[in-house]
Amino acid sequence: MISGTDVWKGYLLAWDETYTLIQSPFTRDGARVFGADSDHTTLAIAALQHRISLGEAIECVSLAEGVNGSIFTMATGVDMADEVTYDSCKWDLLIGDDATVVLIQRDVQIELPELETYVEVDDDFHMAIANAWEKELQDGHVSQGAYVSSSQYIEGGVARMALSGQQFGELLVWPPRQLNEKGLREDGRVSLTPVGNVASWTKLSAAGAPSEFSLRAPLLGGLTTVLLDLEDGPKGVFLMVDDEENEIKIGDSVELVVRRIYAQEGMIRYGLRGRII
Amino acid sequence: MVDVAVVGAGQTKFGNHSLGLKGMWAEAALNAFQSVDGDFSPSQIDEAFIGSIAFGGSQLGNTAALLTEHSAMDGVPVRRVENACASSGFAFRDAWMAIKSGQADVVVAGGIEKMNDLTPERKRFWLGVSGDTEWERLAGLTFPGTYALMARRHFHEFDSNHDDLVHISVKNHAHGAMNPLAHIQKQVSFEKAAGGFMVADPLTLYDCCPTSDGASCVILAADHVVKQFTDTPVWVRGSGAASDRLALHDRPSITQIKATAEASKKAYQQSGITPRDIDLAEVHDCFTIAELMATEDLGFAKRGEGGAFAREGRGVLNQGDVTINSSGGLKSKGHPLGATGTGQIVEVFKQLRGEVADGRQVRDAETALTHNVGGSGATCAVHVLGRGRQ
Repeated sequence: MISGTDVWKGYLLAWDETYTLIQSPFTRDGARVFGADSDHTTLAIAALQHRISLGEAIECVSLAEGVNGSIFTMATGVDMADEVTYDSCKWDLLIGDDATVVLIQRDVQIELPELETYVEVDDDFHMAIANAWEKELQDGHVSQGAYVSSSQYIEGGVARMALSGQQFGELLVWPPRQLNEKGLREDGRVSLTPVGNVASWTKLSAAGAPSEFSLRAPLLGGLTTVLLDLEDGPKGVFLMVDDEENEIKIGDSVELVVRRIYAQEGMIRYGLRGRII
Repeated sequence: MVDVAVVGAGQTKFGNHSLGLKGMWAEAALNAFQSVDGDFSPSQIDEAFIGSIAFGGSQLGNTAALLTEHSAMDGVPVRRVENACASSGFAFRDAWMAIKSGQADVVVAGGIEKMNDLTPERKRFWLGVSGDTEWERLAGLTFPGTYALMARRHFHEFDSNHDDLVHISVKNHAHGAMNPLAHIQKQVSFEKAAGGFMVADPLTLYDCCPTSDGASCVILAADHVVKQFTDTPVWVRGSGAASDRLALHDRPSITQIKATAEASKKAYQQSGITPRDIDLAEVHDCFTIAELMATEDLGFAKRGEGGAFAREGRGVLNQGDVTINSSGGLKSKGHPLGATGTGQIVEVFKQLRGEVADGRQVRDAETALTHNVGGSGATCAVHVLGRGRQ
């Protein structure tokens, strides 16, 4: 049987022909806990992206509660099962009580492997970040930050999470434009490879960070942002992930992974963030 | 076609003001009215353009009508011009075009911003509204961040480093220390500027302009009415403007502000001069790296040699090739966003008329340039002004 363990999108991975297990590398008192910008949705997206990377053709997935279905679909292009399509779906996405998800073929019975623990989190930091997210998600918390309305966010969601661009003749464009250079509507959607090289970078101090990050930036010691020359040509700016060391140099290779960005009006805004490879 | 001159110009001190919008605008307008040598009445104004972001949003709609109401310009057709930090650079261009078109003889262009009466959180929101919200802002970037990306890339591609930015900061503080209208009238040592608090690596506090309150106002007139107002007008010899992609990631290069290069090319062509003919330039140094790149984009230094230009002191008052930011620039004079563009015009108006006090007057100033940039370079207006008509 083909199987393996690895690190995938910054998470721990175990897999065989019937399942993909994704776990957070962080533990607290022996239990898996999420990193500073992860949750079950980001783990679920990583799990499906792994199956797709194996060449698996998956049309729909039955998602456990706790995974944001619309984000999952925007990031992967795979539909979540509903009452009508449930029976035809061959894959179930299950979530654990801790920071674990497993994408598994329906009706397969397996014993999941125990994965090696990576990092024991600092208790105070973990609690502070969790509390900050909780506060950020409350309806009463009105961010003074950039106002990207939910409809504007959703309009750009596929480009943001699946790196969907446009091919206009020879020109590959990302983020996509409403009209092409001739003033016409043209779809021409293509998915770009989520890998690039650092063209420039900066680390904003907590005091200088945009106010939508004001609860978490002080805990994180600031925010690190990169300008990437994407492997397929276009450029993009991305936050680096919050739960890894970000010692960056121009020219470093970076992969893009889906993580939380911030919350506004009770809605978590997810997007691609960079991690050094 | 009709020629256009500036016949009056005034501003408030830039800094932390106890005055509100109406009071600041009235002060700037009154200073402009009183600067006119001959008889002048606000009733002679045909049209007005006022640049502002309306920072804070307290009078976001119809800002301009409120201001004219409080400055004896009741009934004058007026509108707010918004192009981020280049708002009043474009207001000035609109005023120039209104006269050029023959539709008006006397036009006011001005700008205003009240920035320091907000909580820090609200202020940071408004400081970010002119950048690319959907992509850059969600990547954690404010303007210090976008300019930090440009700086690091410039250091990587060319012979430049942070010390070059420190030279710019020291120079502009030295100029601003002599300007009674400047927000920060204080010299800064190289060592202090080099060791500032890191805001957005590699940019420190001494690379960033302050957030200032302020207003500025200038009066433009058509050639056939100029004589009514003054014998020493300052002629607008060229006006160039351009725009570029809003987000850095959509630009082929981030070590050049294309809109600056395009706008200045048009302004030079129109005025029939080259960068070597400029005696003084008020350059948009919202961050020190912005001045470094502007010296290249405006043609004072070759591409990639802006670092050496700063290092060698070639922009120092009366010592270099061209005096850059005799006012102290945005770094020291201050940056009340909407007021900055016409604030630059106020400075060169006084410099070209020899009205600047001891020590800060540019010697034999005949031709000047103003350079006003919106955001990280999405918009830019460049003007060439001179004592001579052509």
